[in-house]
Formats: sequence, structure tokens, C-alpha cells
Amino acid sequence: MDNGSLQRFYGWFSALCVVVGLLTGLGYYRDEYRPWKDYQRRFIAEEVRRAASPEQRQQAMRTPIQIQQILLPELNRVDRCTTCHLAAEDPSYGGYPQPLAYHPRHDEHPFDKFGCTICHRGQGRATTTEDAHGNVAHWDQPMLPLKYIEASCGQCHEAADNPAAPRLARGAQVFETVGCRGCHKLGGVGGVVGPELDRVGARRSPEWLRAHFLEPAAVTPGSGMPPQKLSEPDIDAVVLFMLSQTGEALPGFYASMKVIPSAAQGLHLFQQKGCIGCHSMGGQGGKVGPALDDVGLRRKPEWIIQHFRDPQTVSPGTVMPKFGFTEAEARALTDFLLHKRDQAVALEIPALMSPVDRGREVFRKYGCAGCHGPDGKGGVPNPNAKTAQQVPALTYVADGYTKPELRRLIQGGQREIPALDPARPPPPLYMPAWGTTIRDAELDDLVAYLLSLKPKGEDLGF
Amino acid sequence: MGPGSLWSWFAATRVGRSIFRVGPPQSNLERSQAMVSSFLLHVQPAKVNRHALRASYSLGLGLISLYLFLILTGTGVLLMFYYVPSTTQAYDRMKDLQFVVSAGLFVRNMHRWAAHLMVASVMLHMCRVFYTGAYKPPREFNWLVGVGLFLTTLGLSFTGYLLPWDQLAFWAITVGTSIAGYAPVVGPGLKYLMLGGNIVGQEALTRFYALHVIVLPAIAGLMVAVHLFRVRKDGGLSRPGESADTVQSLALDQLPTNKTYGLMELARGTTPQVGQNPEDEVFSWPHLIFRELLLFLVVVAFVLFLAIFWNAPLEELANPIHPPNPAKAPWYFLGLQELVSYSAFWGGVVVPALIVTALVVLPYVDRRRVGVGRWFARERRVATMVFSVCVAAAIAFTVIGTYFRGPNWGWVVPWRTPPPAMEGR
Amino acid sequence: MGPTPRNGPVVSRRSFLQLSMGWIAGTFAAAATALGTMRFLEPNVVFEPAQKFKAGAPEDYPDGSITFLEEERVFLLRRGNTFRCLSAVCTHLGCTVNRTEGGFHCPCHGSVFSPDGVVESGPAPKPLTWFLVTLSKDSRLLVDKGQSVGIDKYLIL
Repeated sequence: MDNGSLQRFYGWFSALCVVVGLLTGLGYYRDEYRPWKDYQRRFIAEEVRRAASPEQRQQAMRTPIQIQQILLPELNRVDRCTTCHLAAEDPSYGGYPQPLAYHPRHDEHPFDKFGCTICHRGQGRATTTEDAHGNVAHWDQPMLPLKYIEASCGQCHEAADNPAAPRLARGAQVFETVGCRGCHKLGGVGGVVGPELDRVGARRSPEWLRAHFLEPAAVTPGSGMPPQKLSEPDIDAVVLFMLSQTGEALPGFYASMKVIPSAAQGLHLFQQKGCIGCHSMGGQGGKVGPALDDVGLRRKPEWIIQHFRDPQTVSPGTVMPKFGFTEAEARALTDFLLHKRDQAVALEIPALMSPVDRGREVFRKYGCAGCHGPDGKGGVPNPNAKTAQQVPALTYVADGYTKPELRRLIQGGQREIPALDPARPPPPLYMPAWGTTIRDAELDDLVAYLLSLKPKGEDLGF
Repeated sequence: MGPGSLWSWFAATRVGRSIFRVGPPQSNLERSQAMVSSFLLHVQPAKVNRHALRASYSLGLGLISLYLFLILTGTGVLLMFYYVPSTTQAYDRMKDLQFVVSAGLFVRNMHRWAAHLMVASVMLHMCRVFYTGAYKPPREFNWLVGVGLFLTTLGLSFTGYLLPWDQLAFWAITVGTSIAGYAPVVGPGLKYLMLGGNIVGQEALTRFYALHVIVLPAIAGLMVAVHLFRVRKDGGLSRPGESADTVQSLALDQLPTNKTYGLMELARGTTPQVGQNPEDEVFSWPHLIFRELLLFLVVVAFVLFLAIFWNAPLEELANPIHPPNPAKAPWYFLGLQELVSYSAFWGGVVVPALIVTALVVLPYVDRRRVGVGRWFARERRVATMVFSVCVAAAIAFTVIGTYFRGPNWGWVVPWRTPPPAMEGR
Repeated sequence: MGPTPRNGPVVSRRSFLQLSMGWIAGTFAAAATALGTMRFLEPNVVFEPAQKFKAGAPEDYPDGSITFLEEERVFLLRRGNTFRCLSAVCTHLGCTVNRTEGGFHCPCHGSVFSPDGVVESGPAPKPLTWFLVTLSKDSRLLVDKGQSVGIDKYLIL
């Protein structure tokens, strides 16, 4: 190689080495420098500033800069939020700006058992702000706005009557009253006109849900869901309730407190488990066991709860069966009995209700109001339906149908709804076949209820 | 100069001399020895034809492919320290690489872009070899080895594509293995073997991992060795006028009898015949070696550049019940997927089989040793045109599949399609 | 003797500078790559149970109690207002020791420890480890199994 080309080679070689050197340095540096290190330095500076003694200051200055993580193997999560949110457990940081603010009320859900993302969502494994908060493409669970945080309670706990999450409870209540179940299955119960809602909270954002409730056809073209006329707080409450339906499978420990012990939950269980079959309350009920009105005066709380856990241990020879209550359920029932006197409790006991009342319960349970209106009064739009472009009201079914016809209609449904204008798309809402779900006694009661809807004293003379 | 004399000093010490038999070469003898006495370097001859050094001839594509393979091996080994081939852990490990591991994202980016570049560079290398007629005798078998390397490269890219276990990976492989399943007779069995079952699940991930980290790299490494060996044996890179002079068998009775012969002179078949035209030969050290070093730096710099400024994609966790619409194969299979959309049999089975068959039989069918060593030689214009048409068609179908196909594989005009509204979230 | 024979090609000052810069940059790149690789291989997080854990509120432990925390394999001891934490892992081969009247006893090979963790008999080579106990910012007992302390160091509230 002559000198000229050798010079040229040296020139290129040097230039390329410099380029490679710069790029290597740049690439490595970009990956080593992370914003979380700055946050940690800021925190350490703050700790040093607040140090009350020289040795505290020494200790603060020696704090290593490293990623903090909470391992949650049962939930298959790793939460690294505390890499930046370093003062989450330190009450003295209350009122500081994020990320150094204190997180109140973590006693019931300690961080080392629950982490952060189970409630707040977001991307726990990330260590940069936008990624960790989940506001990035390809991450389906961005952080919940704080006003919807109660939705996360509903993942582990029963939504109804949850004293710590009143808006969630309200949402569950609105869901039942409005009759969403008439078209949507939740927990396996409901109609098939619309999609199942068991995982809707994991797939849809709060904004989408709100928009969907207010104007469904705008977010889902071709949807037959009628716009929901609810007050603002109620809309928020139902959005909350929907957000809580994530369908996440929770392992044993996390599902063990499904029922938060409270008198209201206890009442719920009392009605569900059929205690009134053997015990009486308010003069009504069975005579096999003692009346329970004043049990709180006669027995100590420890006795009552042990009695629920295993009746034989405190009442040998009793015929009360061991129900296998979870600890939380036993506490809830105990709470209910102890406070029975404080509550004016109207017990809805199926065996003691009239068929019409039971039928009203069935009507509510399966969400018929969602299409047929509250108390079957109608008013729900069904575009292009021959029945005045509405889902027909049920007020006068007593005049139009016999009992067997009504039963057949409920069980068989009506898939094809006659259209007003054949050129336009067919009516979106139809009557599902409830045959496998509503049967026997429930069906009888429902029919009784529907027949009773006709206003008294009216005779239309058919 | 500074570093050089430091090196010279070290090479002269006892330790230095035990490692490097030859110090920085000062004489022609030493230049030859430097090549021949080194394990790594002796794959290349002591002297090469001047023509082989011309960048405009070979474009260095074979070397580029090799360098990319080395980069991929290095970064791949590093990634193996953190990646776990489990359907429940793989995706989380990818996230950890991005967020927790020092330079994790950087290494992953290098790996991904080098992979795409390698598929492109082996394709370009194949085109170069075709256009310069370098597959013709005596290089037929080397062309076959090259086709094998091409398929191995595609296999490496395809098996690696699944490993992140995100939506992009999962559905690309679902589409790819489905296309494989269309083959008659062997199709379903082949798909079953690839997936270790009927679905893209844990078994598939395990198999693809094994193929990707050891089986295919070992096969590729072996084939690269054979490929380079054959380049030597076939007389170095093809060059114009070669058919006339260097490639000749020596008949033993023609040899002068007044000297002893080394192995290279007695071996039957084609020999490099180094020295036939001494003015055309230059020493590999430094002419070839230094150019190779420069090219290596260029390739490394380019991969680093891409890795710094563009991140490898990672979509949502793989969700078998929620396919994206459309689900697209990796780009090198998109042309196939486009053809498959017309006809599963013709597009998914016949055309690929024809392509591979054509590639394999090419050097045995087109044996006329004309136009070797020149780009687009006039004597070969028919072959050149046919090949170019096929390449253009492949590119066209790939472009269509990439940019002009949207949901349900329907037509979209990419510059006019509005972004999806509220996309369901 | 004539002029010193030159060994290599003649280089101009410009190419010398270029070459040096190139070699320096190249060395830097190689070093950065090597160091970067080492740093890459060094884990920044470990997927093991944390060494530091919270053992609950001080009020949860009655005076004079020795409480066995099963998951963490430690004993938490309270006497008056002092809190200490003793490892329950036998220093012989790692079995969990049991609490006895006179201290601790390992069921695997019979090592016996005094109430202070000192080996009284058996094959254990070292006394049981005492761990550092501090009070967390939210007033919980914080045990650090990564820091062993002498028997004389404890938390006083």
C-alpha cells in the first residue's frame, strides 16, 4: 500500500473510530442515565436537609441510588413505583408535591402485600414517568384518575354496601335499578343483546365508558343501547362500577375479604343463607332455633362469632349446621346481629313475600327495566321498530296475553322484531330467550308481577 | 507512530512472540505469514486479486452479512442473560430489559435492527451474486450453500420474532405457521412439528427459542465456514476474464519436474493459481484486511446509530383471543401473505416452492460461463431481466402487503386513511 | 552510522494526529463496550423476597414475648421497651430452630442454643445471627436481614 492510500485509510479509520466511540458512549449513556436517579437524589437531598442529627445526615447521604421494587408473586406483578415515590410510607411527607408525597391509609392494604398497581393501575414494571403511569401506546391499563379509585375496591370486595367505597356501592345499585342486566350478562346472569361485562373494566377507559353511557351510538356505531338519562353523580357511579369489573383472577389471600365485615353485609348474608328458616326476627320466621331479635344482649360477640364458625363448639348438640362461613362472613353476620337493635331493618324474606313482590324482585334481578323501562313503563327507544319505535311497555300485558302466552314469550324470546321501514336497518333491540335462566318458581312469580302491572280500575274492554 | 511502536515492542517480547508469531508485517514475506499463520485470518489467502477489493463490485455485502451475524451473536448472548422463554415471563422480561437492565434497551435495539438489516443484506448479496454471474461453474455448490444460508437467516429471524411474546410476535408467527400449514401432504405435519402442538403456546415458544439460540446459529456457522472455504477453493471472488485464465485444472504431466510441489499445487480440480498474473495480485495484509476492518466499523457504526435513535417495538402482551386487525407476518413474509390472500395454495405453497426450486437449480441450468465478473453483462441480459422482474414483483408484493393492506386485508390508501377514532378505549 | 533506519511508513503530522485520535477513540469504544457489557450483566434488581421487612407495630408484641415469624424465619423479642430480632436459621445446615424452655433447639442435628443464640451444644459452628431492628417512618418495626448486629444492639422505644 503506498503512502497516499495508507494516509487515506488512516483518515477513514480514525474518523470511523471516533464515530463508533461517540455512538457507543452516547448509546450507553442514554441508557444509564435515567430520570428516576434524579428523583432519588432530590429525595436524598431533602432527607439530608431534614436530618435532625449528624448521624442521621450521614445515614441519609449514604442511601444507595437503586431501583426499588415490590415483588408480588401471587399477583404476578412487580411494582417499581417506589423508585420515585420514595416517601410513600413516611407520614412526615404529607402535603409534599409528587412524587415525594406520603400515601395515607395503607394500613389495611400494606404495600409489601398489595403493591401499587392493583389499585392505581398503570405499568408497575416501568421506571420512567409516562410509561409507569401507563399513558403510552400498547399499555391497556393506564393509571386510574383518582376520582375513580373506588373502582379498584370492587376487584376484591363486594361492591354493594361497601362502607369504604360508597360511590361504588351506589354504582352497583344504579346498575341493578336501571336494568343493565336485561341486555348485558354480568357474573353469568343477564341478557344476550349486548356484550358481557365481566371484563369491561380492563378494556375500556373511564372516558369511553362515560361517553358510552351518554350517547352509545356515538362511540359504538350501530349500537342499539339507549342513551342513559342519569344524574351526573350516578353516571360517575356506574362508570366506577363498570371499571371495577376487570375479570382479574385473584388468588386465595386476595379474595378472602370479598365480604367486608359490616352490618349491611351481614344483613345481605342473613337473607341469602335462609337463616329465617329456623330463626325468627320481628315475629316472623322459623321456630327451630331461638328468636334473634335481642341476641346481642344475651351473648357476647366472641361467642356469636364462634357459633358461626362452628356451632358445635359453643353449643354442643345443636342442630344448626356448620355453614362454612369465611372469617369475613362470620364477622359480618356477627356485626349484623349485634346491631340489629340499632337498625330499622326491613327483612325481605322470600318465603314470606307475595308472588307479585317476588316477581318484582325477579324483574329487578334480570334487568328487565333496561329495555322495558322502570316498572315496565316503557319509553326506551328502539329505532325502526314497528311498536312506535320503542320497546313496548308492559303495563297492559294482562290484556294482551294469557299466562301461557306470556310464559312462552319470556322463555322463547323474540329474535325478529318487525321493522317499520324495511329499507332501514332492523331494530337493534330484541327480546332474548330467557328459558334456561328464568324457570319454574321465578317464572311464575314474574308472570304474576307482570299481570299485576295493569292500573287498577281500568277496563279497556278487549 | 505511537501505538504502532508500542505494539511492535510487545510483539517482540517473549510473551508477545508466543502469541503472535508474526509482528506487524514489514516485508512481503511477513505479510504472507501474517495471513497464513493466523487461525482467524488464514481463511483468506495471502494474496488476493485486485479486482476483488473493488467496493463497487461486491458492495461488501457478504462481509456485511457476516458482520451483522457476529453482532447478532454478541448481542444475542447478552440478551440470553435476562430473557426467559416462558409464556408467563417472556414479556415481563422484555419490559425489564427496557426499564431495569443497564443498556438493556440499547442491546435489544441493536439486536433487532441488525436482524432486519441482515435479512436485507443477504437478499442484496444474493442479488449481487446473480447479477455478476458468480453462481456459474465452478461456483454452483457455493450458490447452494448460499441459498441454505438465506433460508437459515429467514429461519433465525422468524424464530426470534416470536420471543418477545407480544401481540406483534404472536400473530406474526400465527400467520407464518399457518402459511406453512398450507403445503400439501407435509404442511399440517410440518406445522405440528414447528409448534410442538396445534397452537402457538408454550411448546412453540420453547422450540423457537431452542432453534433460535443454538440450532440455527450452529447450522449457520457451519454453513458460513463452508461458504468461505468454497470461495477460496473456487478461486476467490468472481472477476471478469476469469473464465479464460485462472480456472484451469492442472494435468499432472504438464508440471515441470525440476521442483518439489506443495499441497496446493498438486490438488486436483480448480486452484487459485495465485501468481498467474502477478500484477493483478496484492497482499491481503494490508489491502484486504484494512478494508475489511473499515467495513466492520461502518457496519457497527450504522447499527449503533439505528439502536440509539429508534426503539425496537413492543406491543401489548400476546392475547390469543384478541387478534389485531389485520394480523401481519414479518416484512420478509408479507409478500407471501399478500399472495396467500389471493390463493392459499398458489400463494402459500406453489410460489414459495417455485422460488426455492428455481434458486436451487439455477446454477445447474444456466451454465454458460459468459458475463461472469461483470454487473448486468449484455450477454446475460435475458437472465438479468427475468431475475429483475422476479425481484421487482417480490418487492411490489411486499410493499402492497406492508402499506396498502388494512383491516380484514382490505385495501387502504395509506396517505388517506384517517386515524381510528377513540379506538375502543 | 547513518541516519536511524525507519521502521514503518513515513507519516505526516496530520495523519499521526488522525491515527492517534482514531486509536484513542477506538480504545475508548472498546473500553466502553467492555465496561458496558459488564454493567449490563450486573443485575439492578433481584427477584427474591426482600431482605427488609416490616414486623408490625410495636404494640403487637407483648412485653417479654418471643414471637416466631414463620415466613421470615426470625424470632422477634420484646423486653420492656427494647426490641430485638434473632434469626431462626440454624448456623449448621440451615434448618429452622424451635423455641424451647431454655433457649432454642434445632430438630435436624440437635444443636442447642441459649436464649441469646449462643451455641451450647451440637454441631452448629456459630451463634444465631441478630438482625438490625429499627423503627420505620410510619412507626412500624423494620427488620433488616441484610444487616447483622451484635447482641448488644437493639431498638429502644
